[in-house]
Amino acid sequence: MIEDTIYRTSSQYRVWSYTEESLQSLRASTNTIASDRVRVTLRRTRDAPQSATGTPQPGSDVDSKEEKPIDCLTPEEELVFVRYYCESLLELGDEYKPPLPTTLRATAIQYLRRFYLTNSPMTYHPKKIMACALFLATKTDNYYMSLQKFSEAIPGSPSAEEVIAPEFLLMQGLRFTFDIRHPFRGLEGGIMELSAIAEGQGQPTPILPHQTAQSLKQALLSIAPPPTPSSSITDRIGRAHNGTRELLKTAAQMTDAYFLYTPSQIWLSAFLLSDRPLCEFYLETKLGGPIIPSTNSDSDPSTPLDPLVELRTKLSKVLSDCSALLQGYTPLSSDPAQIKNLKRIAKKHYKCQNPEGLNMAQKRDSAQPPTSASATDSGPATSESETERLAKKRKLEEQKRGAQDLFGGELVPDRTKGQ
Amino acid sequence: MASKQAVDRRDEDEVCPVCKSSRYLNPNMRFLINPECYHKMCESCVDRIFSSGPSNCPVAGCRKTLRKNRFRAQTFEDIGVEREVDIRRRVMHILNRREEEFDTKRNYDDFLEQREEMIANLVSRIDVAKTEAQLKQYALENEQSIRANQALEEQEATSFQARMTLEQEEAQRRRQIARQEYENERRELQAGREDFLTRLAAGTSADAGTIAREGSKVHLKKSSARRSEEERIRQKQAALRGSETKRGGASTPAAAGPADSGLIKGLRKIKTPEPEKPYDPFMGFVPEKRDYFTLQESYPSSFLERQRQNQMASAGGYDLREYYSRTLLEAFAGLGVFVGDEVSKRDAEKVSPPAATEGAAMVAGNEK
Amino acid sequence: MAASPFASRSPSITVASPNTAIRLKAAAAQSGSESTDVKTSSQSHGELTEQLNDSVAQNYERGKKLGEGTYAVVYQGHRRDTATTVAIKKIKVNADYKDGLAMDAIREVKYLQELSHPNVIALHDVFSKNENLHLVLEFLPGGDLEMLIRDQNVQYGAADIKAWMGMLARGVWFCHENFVLHRDIKPNNLLIAADGEVKLADFGLARSFADPYLNMTHQVITRWYRPPELLYGARQYSGAVDIWSMGMVFAELLLRVPFVAGNSDLDQIAKISEAFGTPNKDNWPGVEALPLYIETDKNSIIPTSGRDFFLRQFPTAGPVGADLLMSMCTLDPRKRITAVQTLRHDWWTIDPQPTKNADLPRKRKSAEKKMGEDLSRRGGEIGISDGPFKNAARQLDFGGK
Repeated sequence: MIEDTIYRTSSQYRVWSYTEESLQSLRASTNTIASDRVRVTLRRTRDAPQSATGTPQPGSDVDSKEEKPIDCLTPEEELVFVRYYCESLLELGDEYKPPLPTTLRATAIQYLRRFYLTNSPMTYHPKKIMACALFLATKTDNYYMSLQKFSEAIPGSPSAEEVIAPEFLLMQGLRFTFDIRHPFRGLEGGIMELSAIAEGQGQPTPILPHQTAQSLKQALLSIAPPPTPSSSITDRIGRAHNGTRELLKTAAQMTDAYFLYTPSQIWLSAFLLSDRPLCEFYLETKLGGPIIPSTNSDSDPSTPLDPLVELRTKLSKVLSDCSALLQGYTPLSSDPAQIKNLKRIAKKHYKCQNPEGLNMAQKRDSAQPPTSASATDSGPATSESETERLAKKRKLEEQKRGAQDLFGGELVPDRTKGQ
Repeated sequence: MASKQAVDRRDEDEVCPVCKSSRYLNPNMRFLINPECYHKMCESCVDRIFSSGPSNCPVAGCRKTLRKNRFRAQTFEDIGVEREVDIRRRVMHILNRREEEFDTKRNYDDFLEQREEMIANLVSRIDVAKTEAQLKQYALENEQSIRANQALEEQEATSFQARMTLEQEEAQRRRQIARQEYENERRELQAGREDFLTRLAAGTSADAGTIAREGSKVHLKKSSARRSEEERIRQKQAALRGSETKRGGASTPAAAGPADSGLIKGLRKIKTPEPEKPYDPFMGFVPEKRDYFTLQESYPSSFLERQRQNQMASAGGYDLREYYSRTLLEAFAGLGVFVGDEVSKRDAEKVSPPAATEGAAMVAGNEK
Repeated sequence: MAASPFASRSPSITVASPNTAIRLKAAAAQSGSESTDVKTSSQSHGELTEQLNDSVAQNYERGKKLGEGTYAVVYQGHRRDTATTVAIKKIKVNADYKDGLAMDAIREVKYLQELSHPNVIALHDVFSKNENLHLVLEFLPGGDLEMLIRDQNVQYGAADIKAWMGMLARGVWFCHENFVLHRDIKPNNLLIAADGEVKLADFGLARSFADPYLNMTHQVITRWYRPPELLYGARQYSGAVDIWSMGMVFAELLLRVPFVAGNSDLDQIAKISEAFGTPNKDNWPGVEALPLYIETDKNSIIPTSGRDFFLRQFPTAGPVGADLLMSMCTLDPRKRITAVQTLRHDWWTIDPQPTKNADLPRKRKSAEKKMGEDLSRRGGEIGISDGPFKNAARQLDFGGK
């Protein structure tokens, strides 16, 4: 189909599409490389605490854990850790007036997710990358604002230099492909077409020329009722639209959907979750026949099928896989068990950060002199007094994980808990 | 035994297996067959059973649904041959690649062999489902080239016929001209001689030599003029023929690329475009073609109402049709792209033959 | 369905897949002797990302400098494995631009990564080296259309113009088909390949079509090629803006001088009115709603130019060509011809047939240098640096609210 050929020219397909296996092995090798480096660097700094790097380890680390092997994050832990910052990015968008557009936030989230495929959060702390990703997204998505104005809106008011410092690093991690194919616009297209069918203005699909506006409308009106009753077909389409959009804003962003599926498959999977009969009807108008066989879709693989049947069979499998992926998503903040796990990871992360990685991010920015704020950030060792710490802890417990923490000096919960 | 068989065979020809009426009672009886199952029945049975729409084959044990318009007279006595011819015709109609579309003669021969094998499979009912699916997919993917080649075949058939007729006419005309010429020559010769004789009779003897010479000169002039006239006609005809073949050459199939399914191997990769081909402003790209949807002029959407009303935007040229076209394209772009399958295939291809990039990357990697 | 109109990128020019790197890594990790190498490399490069980047960077060898501008330095270069000549555009870190990588570079990279067409300059690769962004672009040594237009020693005719316009129209059509507005079409952004093919270059002002309710900037397109709706400050517009520029290029090819060359935005409107008629609510309903529209005094309204005007002004184009030009220069953008319609116009199929690439007039002298200059220029700048062109589309306000 010509639309598929067009999609294959996109950088999202050419560079950023993976199988589950390749995704996993890519993350594993990123993790291995980063872990090796963390171990090497930490051991070296430990052996020579007065080295020229000027970032001596905190006292506690030096005395008690000298001989202990350094415990690095696993790829799975890295993923959860990054996901936390992706969710934060979604909220960060609300700090602006007017709030940043959904697609822009989604672009930034995908930048972050792509970046951490070949970079480890142990080397580059996501909180440093995320603001930059959001700023880069304002530039690539034509929603330009000055860096100054952008930085001011971020809780904790980081300096403009701090925000922009990792830009080059980020772009390199994105392999200089900035275009993200989102499922949002496709959803609008599908909804518009369904609305046209509902109003008796449907046009036949080129490969199924027998369809008429009347037959399409009739078929639409006779589909199975929606999961929740609706007053009219327009109402039903509207609800499915909202439900789908919500899933695309959240689940589709926080999972591997963009790496594993195409935008049209993603919106249709979300649509399937919102109103199954409506989605199945729509697909049937496109590809004929029942899309999702009621019985097991396992057909005899030895005989090649009619291409259209084959397409339907494959698609039904892909859509149900993708639906399951989307459905399996729950936001970290809504799940105490996940929060607990996240805190554990953050604590672990604190101990296996690569100080060189952070320095490197600054070296990259050699044109600009390091500001005092970033200097403090670069070394994990900051001389916080006990009272400050307690104050931060209290503040933290009050707001659980408010947006303020996102760009505050450190990821506070872990540090306080860690001591 | 032998005699019984003979009787049977005659019965077959004489008695309708469905209504059992015999030729003896109905001497005009015609038998028809349907390529769905090739069961034979008489014309009146076909009328009776299938006039009101498709129905099952009345022959015991055969439940094939048959349509009246597909019934036809049998061409070959042996029904097996009949069926094979049908299958062959159908397959050759689809797998109609031409020799000039292949890289080498060898590839063309392979193609012919493959086609024969598929025909044989269908005839002897081996792997029917698989073969049919292959055919169907091929037909779908190579729609354009199939149509182009069919058109070409037709054109060749008609031009062959035309050439035959033309040649016949020409031969006839040539014969006529030759006859005419002979006749003229004879008449002129006679007239010339008469003239010569009268002049000789009228003039003096001294002139006799001159007159005789003159006479033969005129004769020569006329025949050479005739000869050059003939030559001119011949050349013209040759030129006509030449341009005809040239035209035939120009319309060689615009092969729509090699088959995607890879059913046929060794097709010529790039067809060098004929220089005479008319300029295509799109250079082969098909504008605005879509497979999953038909773009409409407008779509109902309350969300867009304010945009539609925005006079400033519309005076600025903002065109919602561009938005419609984009949303609908994005709704389906990649729907049939199965990342899992395609990416693993892509990666696998990159590994096996070390492509240029890969090789370089490897080297680069090892150098570090 | 089988014949895809969209040429997929040749694998030899796509960036190495990350999976390659995994294999690289795995191969390196397996042999014990190399593990030290990994360590040393990990100090200078480290993360997988950087290894991938380096493997791309190492594919290219940089050669002589072709040109330098405020925005970039362009070098000739070649691929190490295939010896293919390329142009390497090194983006300068802009000292006075504090907001990270300049928008020109971001736009150029973003859109060229997605567009692959014979009439759009190909971006083979992007890599970073010493903290600089390098774009590996198709090498186009034939100079640009502006050179040919200006060079009085170059003779060309209707058939040549048709060939060049056809290539330009296809490039623009392909961009629009991919929902990208170029927003800076002009003769010196139309580069010429060694085989004579014209390629649309400089995507520094490009952007994708805006969704409903979103504004764009009107400060785009070099003034002489800027359509009236942008001069009137339209913030929502369409592919029609590129078509106007295309029309201006067409006219310039025919006349060999810029057709409407205003020395200020106001003067540009005045010159457009002189040439094509004064925009008013009759020939352009709703024009008065545009932010910068200025009502013209009733007495000085110039009537809209008809077919006769175009025929008289552009005899070289012939009646059909003049008709095409007229539909590209329609004041009301809604009535202007679209890119697809342009290519469906009769002009392409009537005589004279467009000249074949090999027979197109070309200029050899210092054309490579021209590519260097063209590529190192910032979007919206014009080649000549004096007076009237200085402030053409320089201030970008990027459209967002």
